Amino acid sequence: MDIRSIQAQIESDLAAVHSQGQLEEFRLKYLSRKGALAQLTAAIPTLPQNERAQFGQEVNALKNNLASLIAEKEKSLGAGIKSGPEMTDDIGMPGIAQELGRLHPITQTINEISSIFTRMGFCIADGPEIETEFNNFTGLNIPLEHPSRDAFDTFYLKDYEKLLLRSHTSPVQVRAMKGRLPPLAIVVPGRVYRPDAVDASHLFMFHQIEGFMVDTNITFADLKGSLEIFAKAVFGNDIKMRFRPHFFPFTEPSAEVDISCIICKGAGCSVCGRKGWLEILGCGMIHPNVFKQVGINAQKYSGFAFGMGIERIAMLKYGINDIRLFFENDLRFLKQF
Amino acid sequence: MKVTYSWLKDFVDIKLAPEKLADKLTMAGLEVVSLEQKQGDFVFEIEITSNRPDWLSVSGIAREVAAITNSKIRIQKSKSQTKIKNSKQEKFEIEIENKKDCSLYTAKIIRGVKVGPSPEWLKTRLELVGCRSVNNIVDITNHVLFETGEPLHAFDLDKLSGASIIVRRARSGEKITTIDGEIKQLSPDILVIADARRPVACAGIMGGKDTEVTEGTKNILLEAAVFNPILIRKARQVLGLQSESAYRFERSVDASIVESSSQLSADLIEKLSPGKTVLAKSAGSGKVIAKNIILDCDRVARVLGVKIPAQKIKTILQALGFTVKAKSKSKFSVLTPSHRQDAALDVDLIEEIARIYGYELIPRTIPSIKPQAFSWGVLDAAALIKNILTGLGLNEAITYSLTERNLAKSLGQTENLKAVEIRNPLSREQEILRTSLMPSLVKCAGLNLNQKQEYVNLFEIARRFYATDKGPKEELCLGVLLCGRKSLSLEQGMVKDEAGLLHLKGIIENMLLRLGIKEFSFSPDGQIVRIEVAGKKAGSMFRLSRSALDLFDIKNREVFVAELSLDNVIPALNLKKKFTAPPKYPGITRDISLLLREELGIDDVFQALRSAGEPLLKELKVTDFYKGKQVPAGWRGLTISCIYRSDERTLTEAEVAPVHAQLNALLTGRFGATIR
Repeated sequence: MDIRSIQAQIESDLAAVHSQGQLEEFRLKYLSRKGALAQLTAAIPTLPQNERAQFGQEVNALKNNLASLIAEKEKSLGAGIKSGPEMTDDIGMPGIAQELGRLHPITQTINEISSIFTRMGFCIADGPEIETEFNNFTGLNIPLEHPSRDAFDTFYLKDYEKLLLRSHTSPVQVRAMKGRLPPLAIVVPGRVYRPDAVDASHLFMFHQIEGFMVDTNITFADLKGSLEIFAKAVFGNDIKMRFRPHFFPFTEPSAEVDISCIICKGAGCSVCGRKGWLEILGCGMIHPNVFKQVGINAQKYSGFAFGMGIERIAMLKYGINDIRLFFENDLRFLKQF
Repeated sequence: MKVTYSWLKDFVDIKLAPEKLADKLTMAGLEVVSLEQKQGDFVFEIEITSNRPDWLSVSGIAREVAAITNSKIRIQKSKSQTKIKNSKQEKFEIEIENKKDCSLYTAKIIRGVKVGPSPEWLKTRLELVGCRSVNNIVDITNHVLFETGEPLHAFDLDKLSGASIIVRRARSGEKITTIDGEIKQLSPDILVIADARRPVACAGIMGGKDTEVTEGTKNILLEAAVFNPILIRKARQVLGLQSESAYRFERSVDASIVESSSQLSADLIEKLSPGKTVLAKSAGSGKVIAKNIILDCDRVARVLGVKIPAQKIKTILQALGFTVKAKSKSKFSVLTPSHRQDAALDVDLIEEIARIYGYELIPRTIPSIKPQAFSWGVLDAAALIKNILTGLGLNEAITYSLTERNLAKSLGQTENLKAVEIRNPLSREQEILRTSLMPSLVKCAGLNLNQKQEYVNLFEIARRFYATDKGPKEELCLGVLLCGRKSLSLEQGMVKDEAGLLHLKGIIENMLLRLGIKEFSFSPDGQIVRIEVAGKKAGSMFRLSRSALDLFDIKNREVFVAELSLDNVIPALNLKKKFTAPPKYPGITRDISLLLREELGIDDVFQALRSAGEPLLKELKVTDFYKGKQVPAGWRGLTISCIYRSDERTLTEAEVAPVHAQLNALLTGRFGATIR
């Protein structure tokens, strides 16, 4: 057989290939050990010496051409993917990767809340956990004889007169307002301490996040608007919210904020004590006496402040029913967040 | 505080259904925590904020209901308008030792009473608000207490010694048996009502057993007074007593209603039990000074963010008992009523206006915030570190800052830190502020090992505390703990990776590098590895001793801990990045496999190799490490990769060979290594 007729044969054969199987047959016919091309190569020694080189080159060219024709045909049959390397893994086996660690749910909650406020333009600040009586009480318009100053409600230090463990994050308000001029928009997360007997909802240490804004024309309506953005971002757009009048020494007017129960949607269940509402934070307009203590002109400036317990928010958000779980650091707990 | 629907109706017409009223009250700041239907009536349980003692009475809440519902309040006036004629035979004196302790004391003598059970309506009323019926006289005083908010007390006159009452501080050593039958030690911190001989009541808190009104009582002394709130609170705490009286006195009562409440009570006694008021005496004054507050309606709008008409403002304040006079077009002069001692500033009035107007009607607006420059700080650094550590697979723990004494020392803390102590801890576990994060982390490890965790890897970023000459110091620290075996799933199968000090080192090294800190060192010092950052002491890491593990009940496990002062690390942090072009010319890598004596530190070996390999040797890495059967005891097998490179040209084999030979010679010569 001469090369030219084989070439013609190849063209017509290839045109008739319409499947992977036919292609394989085609490949075997020409390229297998006993295929047409092997026969041509085998015939080389029978040729006259001077033709051998020329013929060999032509056979080689034909072989290369054939390989690329097959590859082309394979692509046009769409078999490129299917014909990849064989699957050798049992994909049901565990995946291999460095396991990521988790941030504590308290940290995650703080981060989430902080970021809502920083996106609104607030800054984050912190302050010491050992505080002066002035910053924790006096500066916040809590009178000398107020019950919260009792040793029942505040941890005091032994060898230091007038030093205590802060019982709320509000002292940072006093520090910030003393140190900077308005406008101020700050959130303060941190640890706080109160000598409470330990049970499923009370601990002697927990976390709060405090926020406040001071400028020339901040109103109670602004407080409502800002906290609505916060509550909807954390608990979802479909919650209802209400501001109930309340009392705090450092704000006037003051309010407590409830959201419609995220479990029963307001129908009343055991989580909300059948009320349909969950209290999430306290807030109000910064009391003029607080401004006076820190040297801000209460006629010129106004401001709002709010504070909430991080554990409470996290417990509601994640459905955790015992506050002590946060501090046991059981990995089976931590790895859920 | 409990009130009933029907009792409120004595004072105000209510057209709202109880549920609706409960909602309204809640939204006005009197949070109704429960509403119960009982015996044909409705009982509201209301949480009263500490600034509103005037709400600790049915009439006070009725005033609020009237304001919310736009109706009129009916004030019950004492029915006997005639002044009591003091009988000439009656002699009785009141002496107040200090007017600061008791600003007003009134007493009435009612003779010929007949003590017996109360009528049903009175019993039911008291029971509904959670007060046990005792007898008609005691029930009447309680009824008036709940109705007006003024606590009253009735003594059996015949059991008092002498014809006088002295309001004085108790003397050391005095005792009293209170109505509940308990013997209480008294002290000068406690105000008492005394007769000529002894204390007969803890003022404002509880009466004495031996002068109480009983079946046989014929004549009574009816007390109505005002006591110093702080004194009552402190005495109540010292005595460990709680009572409806104390609850009201410590929040302060309205002095102007003392006399009328006493009269109301006397009238009821005369009506329900035979008896005649024969003497009324008082000492001190019931005058309450009204405050004058100037209220600017524009400021109301500026604070609330909503414009409330001046007329509406006036109506609201008047309904709450304030006297409102116009000062100018938008300004009022507001006089506080006697029951509103809490109101002192215009914002106090603004809250009242907002409450009754309705917080829910105030719009929600978004404040305009002016951008402020706050520099990147410690909080951001801490957040970055947490991010790096979780990336390295560690889990964040949060543990208590308060702990028991000496834990850190018994764990292996070598710094001699003086702990900051708590004056009033609730338990031994809260005695000091911790001087180290390590004990708390080890405790967490113990808990997790008990839960059959194979591998515990935790970190915490929190403050530790210690006493210095300048006062207590807070220091932000990082604690890391590793324990147990991590299962690594590799291509060749599962491998158990036992945690050790090198794992801790790897974590800290990675973290520091990622923080842009290049200058740090780990140096062994006895059992501890000291960590320095930027030439400063930054912390340490070590394996816990057996005795330390016993302390935490950890068995058959090794625990590794590290603690770093972030206050020392963060200043060295450098997040500025500068690009260096990747090497232009390829390098040549030559490996050396060798046996090295175990006591030789790899740091020293590398240092010598580096200086010998300059300038072509660019990098040295340990790429394999083995101990075991094929390695003689006291030796370790290592493979070191040496990477040679030039920034000017592609290196040739001929250039590298002599340098590499030099390194080999150094290893075999100076370090006595065997090349394999």
